Amino acid sequence: MQAHTLSGTVFGLEGMRVEVEADIGQGLPGFHIVGLVDRAVQEARERVKIAINNSGQEFPGQKVTVNLAPAQVRKEGTGFDLAIAAAILSCTVHRPLPEGAAWLGELALDGSVRPIRGILAISAHLDRSGANIFYVPPANVAEARLATSRPVHAVPDLRRLVRYWVDGEPLPDTVLEAGDPSPALTAVDLADVRGHAHAKRALEIAAAGSHHLLFVGPPGSGKTLLARALPGIMPSLEERAALEVTTIASILGGLAPGSGLITEPPFRAPHHSISTAGLIGGGDNTPQPGELSRAHNGVLFLDEINELRRDALEALRQPIEDGRLVVARRHGHAVLPSRFILVAAANPCPCGRYGDQKKPCTCTPPQRQRYQARLSGPIRDRIDLQVSVLRQPAAELLHHADGAESSATVRERVMDARARQRKRRPDGPLNGALTGTQLRRDVHLDAAGQDLLTAAGDRLHLSGRALHRLLRVARTIADLEGAADVAAAHLAEAVQYRESG
Amino acid sequence: MSVLWRNDPGYPVLLAAIADPPARLFVRGVLPVGPTVAVVGSRQGTPYGQRAAHQLAEDLSNQGIIVVSGLARGIDRAAHEGALTGPTPTVAVLASGLDPIYPPEHVELADRIAVTGALLSEAEDGSLPLPARFPVRNRIISGLSLGVIIVEAAERSGALITARLALEQGREVFCVPGSIENPLTLGPHSLVKDGATLVRTVEDVLAELPEAVRAYARAHARAPAPARADSGPQEPELAAVWELLDWVEPRHHDELAEQLRLDVIEVSRRLTLLEMGNYIIGDRGAVTRSRRRLDK
Repeated sequence: MQAHTLSGTVFGLEGMRVEVEADIGQGLPGFHIVGLVDRAVQEARERVKIAINNSGQEFPGQKVTVNLAPAQVRKEGTGFDLAIAAAILSCTVHRPLPEGAAWLGELALDGSVRPIRGILAISAHLDRSGANIFYVPPANVAEARLATSRPVHAVPDLRRLVRYWVDGEPLPDTVLEAGDPSPALTAVDLADVRGHAHAKRALEIAAAGSHHLLFVGPPGSGKTLLARALPGIMPSLEERAALEVTTIASILGGLAPGSGLITEPPFRAPHHSISTAGLIGGGDNTPQPGELSRAHNGVLFLDEINELRRDALEALRQPIEDGRLVVARRHGHAVLPSRFILVAAANPCPCGRYGDQKKPCTCTPPQRQRYQARLSGPIRDRIDLQVSVLRQPAAELLHHADGAESSATVRERVMDARARQRKRRPDGPLNGALTGTQLRRDVHLDAAGQDLLTAAGDRLHLSGRALHRLLRVARTIADLEGAADVAAAHLAEAVQYRESG
Repeated sequence: MSVLWRNDPGYPVLLAAIADPPARLFVRGVLPVGPTVAVVGSRQGTPYGQRAAHQLAEDLSNQGIIVVSGLARGIDRAAHEGALTGPTPTVAVLASGLDPIYPPEHVELADRIAVTGALLSEAEDGSLPLPARFPVRNRIISGLSLGVIIVEAAERSGALITARLALEQGREVFCVPGSIENPLTLGPHSLVKDGATLVRTVEDVLAELPEAVRAYARAHARAPAPARADSGPQEPELAAVWELLDWVEPRHHDELAEQLRLDVIEVSRRLTLLEMGNYIIGDRGAVTRSRRRLDK
């Protein structure tokens, strides 16, 4: 007796189709799962056997063999349980499995079905590769429906699955209602940040043109507070971006049961002791997204960036240059999206007092130099905006400032500026990622602007790369103002966000 | 490298006159001959202190005065750099041996000094910069000089030891004033209280030196000290910003915007124009006035 059905798993951020075949035949009684499976899948034998026995059915006392194909690809996780159980049950109750059905879910010992990670990516892939009906855990129904327009059924437990087949009793439509869209816990309204006008303006420019940003200031000067205000002035995610962000959250199990698309830009703030694997993503055999991918389409805040381990810092290079990470693992490589706005914060020196007239810095110049040099050239080159942040009396920081703009007002301007960039380059990058060639096409300077650019280059000894940074920022400033061309005034403002020294 | 013994004819006369002159000096480069003034101070010198040391040393060099210092970080380095900007050689007296140079990041500075001036040490090559060698070295710095200018020095610092030695050797002690909030000016300020000469310019230094030295300086003056900026920009909206700036203490964009009741965007634009006119020095949000206009 044989049964054949579909299931799936995740590799990197992509779903993978897995065919599940069950054979119940002559031989010594036993239960074998074959097809390059890991420990969690081997353990499915115990879960499936006991779950079936606890659901009013009897696990066959014959030789049961389950094959997961393609057999040369390593399979991980617990999401195959439901498919394996369904295949075996279809043999024992003599009911054929629906053609083209996909089964996803983990079994509990009492036969109930538990949610799994990555349903979004798996269903999207199976939808493309021919599945026409989905059976998933109740907690994952909302998520699966984001990925496919085909019927999605919730399977609460095996007992009701059998009644559905044998007695035709419909599966309960237990779709978990999505809770309120989770309010961004990290959000700080700009209106609540007192002072820091220069830094706030830099945030606005960063949000509008997707520029990377560096805050330099003594400990406790409000760098973290400012960074947390950034997601609140960024536009909500467009559908495609939202799907990417939700997929990553789903694979990492960070999606609440029943929740829908994540539409707010994520904000990630890993501690500076994070390992390279934590940033890029771990996984022995199959890549798992790390912080760099979790921040995709949002903000990556790295406080004390100079304290980051050297190799971890270097891991930032590929994402801030290409917006993606290529991760190689034993069973192939995966491309993980990681396009984010980097907000870095640094102390001016190891003791944090350099430049403070009243409390002299206790660091030696070589210490300061080494500290500054930890942020390597290629990363500096990609940070368009640099701002120093002054320490303010703590009591004043959270005090509502009179006349300070709210995040909503600033966000309007940011959205207008983004719209102008989209009009210029419908599929191209935002200003923060423009290359030299693209800049020449997008930035038209008038005579006064040209003069100012030349003067700035001479007076301030700016390198070619520094001039490109200047032009990218000036382009965004002009977009925020609604100007088609970049004027000298825009360039003049941009000069003030340049690198120190 | 050569060795200079106390009986050698090239041995500095002033140094030979102190109570305990070194019997033997290792010399790299050529020991220049002429009136000599030491400029010393803290290794942790503030930007202000370093600018002051740089300017005084440059002005001394322009008057033909040899600047002696200790090749240390901070004020010493600024003094050597300032002296190298002018035409007169400079002399560095090391506490360690002449090879390797300490501190290591000053190897390149030492090379430049040795082109026209000299590096001196009482210690053999390979000697480490042990704490005990510094006071011993300081007696050579003051011994070589007619006077010692202290720029920034904490209480109980090496620079104050140099000042004490200078007094014992009968040399002039000059002090550069600073902010009363800065702990590094406690040293020079207490010296002034005890009778040391307060100096603002190179003229203040020369006034305390013998007439022969002043005559020498007049004869060797190459470039008159450039005029200081006494007026800001002409444009009223730029002058309004410039008025609020300071030569020493940096101001931040946020403060300026608040004081001028202006948009921070407008402040940024004006600051850039001031920078282009070389009226100010901007350093990532910390703005100070330029010390003087470079007339181009």
